Amino acid sequence: MTITESGLIGKSVQRTDVMDKVTGCAVFVDDIQFGPKLLHSRLVRSPYPHALIKKIDTSKAEALPGVRAVVTGKDLTARLGLYLIDRPIFAYDRVRVYGEPVAGVVATSEDIAVEAVKLVEVEYEVLPAIYDPVESAQPDAPLIHPDLGSYSVVNFIFPEPGTNISEHFKIRKGDAESAFAECAAVAEGRFRLPPIEHVPIETHTSVALCEKTGQVTLWASSQSPFAMRDMIAQGLDIPHNKLRVIAPLVGGGFGGKAGVTMEACAVVLAQAVEGHPVKLRLTREEEFVGTSTRQSLISDIKVGCDKDGNLQAMELTYYFGGGAYNDYGVNIARAAGYSCTGPYDVPNVKADSLCVYTNTPVGSAMRGFGMPEIHWGLEQIMDHLAEEVGMDPVLFRRINCVRTDDEIVSGMKMTPIDLEACIDKAAKAIQWEKKEEPTGPNKKRGKGIAIMWKAPAMPPNPGSAAVVRFNEDATLQVEVGGQEIGQGAFTVAAQIAADVLGIPYENVTVSTPLDTKYSPYEWQTVASRLTWSMGNAVKAAAEDARCQILETVADAWDEDIEDLTIKDGVVISFKSEREQPLDKMVIYGMPNDDFEGWKGGPVVGRGHFMPTYVTNLDPETGQGTRAVVHYTVGAQAVDLEVDLETGQLEVLNIASVYDVGRAINPDLIMTQIEGGAVHGMSSAYEAMKFNEDGVVINPSFVDYRIATIADIPRKIHGDYVETPIDDGPWGARGVGEHVMVQTAPAIANALYDAVGIRFSDLPLSADKIYMALEEKELTQKD
Amino acid sequence: MLARPGLPDFEYLKAESPQEVFNLLKDKGPDLKLMMGGTDLFVQMRDRDSGPGTLLDIKGLPGMQEIEFGKTVGLTLGAAVTLNQISAHKDIRKYYPVLCQAADTVGNYQLRNRATLGGNICNASPSADMAPALLIYDAELILESPGGERQLPVAEFWVGPGKIALKEDEYLKAIHFPPPPEGAVGQYYKLGRSKMGDLAIVGVGMLGYPDPETPAGLRFKIGINSTAPTPYRVPAVEDYLAQHSLSDDVLSQAAEDAMDISAPIEDIRATALYQKKMVRNLTKKGLKEIWGSLK
Repeated sequence: MTITESGLIGKSVQRTDVMDKVTGCAVFVDDIQFGPKLLHSRLVRSPYPHALIKKIDTSKAEALPGVRAVVTGKDLTARLGLYLIDRPIFAYDRVRVYGEPVAGVVATSEDIAVEAVKLVEVEYEVLPAIYDPVESAQPDAPLIHPDLGSYSVVNFIFPEPGTNISEHFKIRKGDAESAFAECAAVAEGRFRLPPIEHVPIETHTSVALCEKTGQVTLWASSQSPFAMRDMIAQGLDIPHNKLRVIAPLVGGGFGGKAGVTMEACAVVLAQAVEGHPVKLRLTREEEFVGTSTRQSLISDIKVGCDKDGNLQAMELTYYFGGGAYNDYGVNIARAAGYSCTGPYDVPNVKADSLCVYTNTPVGSAMRGFGMPEIHWGLEQIMDHLAEEVGMDPVLFRRINCVRTDDEIVSGMKMTPIDLEACIDKAAKAIQWEKKEEPTGPNKKRGKGIAIMWKAPAMPPNPGSAAVVRFNEDATLQVEVGGQEIGQGAFTVAAQIAADVLGIPYENVTVSTPLDTKYSPYEWQTVASRLTWSMGNAVKAAAEDARCQILETVADAWDEDIEDLTIKDGVVISFKSEREQPLDKMVIYGMPNDDFEGWKGGPVVGRGHFMPTYVTNLDPETGQGTRAVVHYTVGAQAVDLEVDLETGQLEVLNIASVYDVGRAINPDLIMTQIEGGAVHGMSSAYEAMKFNEDGVVINPSFVDYRIATIADIPRKIHGDYVETPIDDGPWGARGVGEHVMVQTAPAIANALYDAVGIRFSDLPLSADKIYMALEEKELTQKD
Repeated sequence: MLARPGLPDFEYLKAESPQEVFNLLKDKGPDLKLMMGGTDLFVQMRDRDSGPGTLLDIKGLPGMQEIEFGKTVGLTLGAAVTLNQISAHKDIRKYYPVLCQAADTVGNYQLRNRATLGGNICNASPSADMAPALLIYDAELILESPGGERQLPVAEFWVGPGKIALKEDEYLKAIHFPPPPEGAVGQYYKLGRSKMGDLAIVGVGMLGYPDPETPAGLRFKIGINSTAPTPYRVPAVEDYLAQHSLSDDVLSQAAEDAMDISAPIEDIRATALYQKKMVRNLTKKGLKEIWGSLK
């Protein structure tokens, strides 16, 4: 069936949620009123990064007036996890990170819960803690999970029991050792990247209600209500139909609200006070210690090329500091493994990507999922190697970047992309060839470029489902299970449905909030996969509905379905020029021409999408036919200057160009590019800091500085390339995470261009930069 | 451990007369804390999970929110004048511009609607943004007690981090600034980790003005925060500058001397060494700019 061309695909229609959000009508979990039965809860958290729990005495807390329940992990040994089932809901035998929940308190007010928490007495036996992933990966390191060998794990993750290594992904491709011997130039380095926080403006908030019937309802700020339901249902042995997750709008996710963090605690606490909704709302400080962070990474990179600059060999070791629990993080190390080279064509690769337990906050999904981590080192070492062979960094990347149909590092044939076009556009946008003067005295200016790739990192077969339902007046409800987390997912869903059905965009409403009781299934709102995967499902659902409509009309008019189309909400026949408005007919159907009976009925379209073509990889070589569904690629170029008096950086211009396959809504791509550039800058300048006892010392916006409106670059240039893929709606793929993946190394490369100093460790603080400038005697200038 | 979710319990009282303040100070002793905008106090109470049993709001006392200015008498600000009121006042902008510049760097606009000058002074943070400006404009604090008023130079008021020379029966009523020196040019140089709303890693407030009595023909006043237990002036540096014919070398030496006087400790925002070097660099930058505009 042909697609109607209403021109909505590629058009920057207004976001569906814009009025709700600017007027304050938008409802978040904490806005929902639960009435007088609502109880409040707080968690008792470990003061140690690693300790055995000897005894928990809750009697004093239970005796406090207003306390309704105190819950510990004593009778609750279930573990949760998506890939590796390693995480208890409340620690019961040992704590593995400062701030880990060991008990929870339910009370009639938050203040009483705060006091009750202080009355829970926990006796610990302190164990040696380990924070550095390289140290923790050593055979003699103290074990953080002695029972690793007994945990359930999916068949594509490979923990090493008896060590702290929760995943070991290997690439053995060609013969790296021999190839290095032939290289004309080799560059080597160790790069470090500390953990950062997602810092959503809305902190994690949940309300859970368990009823006498066994029905459990959980309201949660969540990117993945279905995955949350699945994990909690499995962990607590609740039938899926008895656990309902309602997910209103999300005030910032960035991966931090994927999977389960504190929500299972809320459910367990609610089970102790049947009939009462229980609210668990984290503070900003708890957001840092009690949810998840981007994992730390130490990467050892060695890369070589021939005299013409053609990449020949790479040897890589990635040590991801996965934190106390790696239930989600193991798949980050895996994704970093099968994409370990970055977007380059390298014939010989030896790589080991490890996820390692550490006594630090739980590492998990964060925008980029392993890619910002590995690109930090990769994109600097490529500049280094280019310099070694005397080649311009842009030219070096043009020569070596991956192209359509290349056999990439995992053995898969590269899906359609045009990275060269992205590189050229980004370089042009900052006038790469032109050496520019600083904007003032005591400053140095430089330009840098960095490229990236990223595939959606998922199990092989994550599914999406969608339903479209007409109302009597031919307005449409679109039902999806993917979440709006600021990226515009609902807008794109409405746009796709309207285009396929030939109805005005304004007539489409996305049914919200997401509710596992009513919404169709969606795996998770992660991996930049919604426009692509959910988009395919919505398109299929709309096509199903369109087919139903046209069949009814064709039947009623006795015409051929191929002669009909829908335009502006009216079915028209090219042949007879008859017209039938959708109004009413999409519910009541159509009378036969002689009014002898009716045809049709309420139109409900259904669609789904699930990739069926991803294969497993050989555990020893990392090679396979198709590691992933596809890749999105892009280039970022930065023009910046550094203040020689203070070491402060100022980005003057950042150009971001990505190959999106097909731009469904160009404005939404631009807002991703703008937000990504700013997010990328924050990730370059700030990080979580810890004291020697493993305690986060900057868990607030006073001391964890993210870029504000005043810090954004003077100019953000955004652009895209459209090389369609086979399996996306109109060829589209995701671009939500990619836009911040290589910002930090692009800044580092520009800084090197400005002052000739390489910084291998993040963050790039003014303090650190200034001291390096002084060492190089660059600050004495008047 | 981590900050509590909300504020601990306290009793809130709003004073209507000085006598009421004195009575309550006497009755409640250390369990009572005077409160202005609360923008520092509430954060501390939440962080520390404890606080005084009573907060006595004194913003509403007579004169506390008044601004009086005369070219010959100078400027008097009620202690509860907000930072945004200071920033928006045209005479303050004209005659005491460094006060306005400093006010504009504190937190964000919404916070500055509540944050008061008196609160900033009594909070006695080493990094107080208003402090360098207060020091270089020779602010005198007017302290009210049952025995009457007394005046104290602001520098003598700060005793240590969070510690002030306020007696048990006193409150800060107003801040007086003498008329600024004729022809003065001033600037607040603040270094933060981000452009807006950060606490100062280093802040230097500087005033330069013609003075025919000195060999330099100029005199400078320099106030510095964040790099010692209290904000401070550097009189030795100011005198050195006044006594020398100015040159790049003299300015550099003065900046070096300021750095040597500074005594920062390493904190979460920066290393001590970086802070010292920034005292030098900001001082030098300021001296050069102000000298340039007075030449």
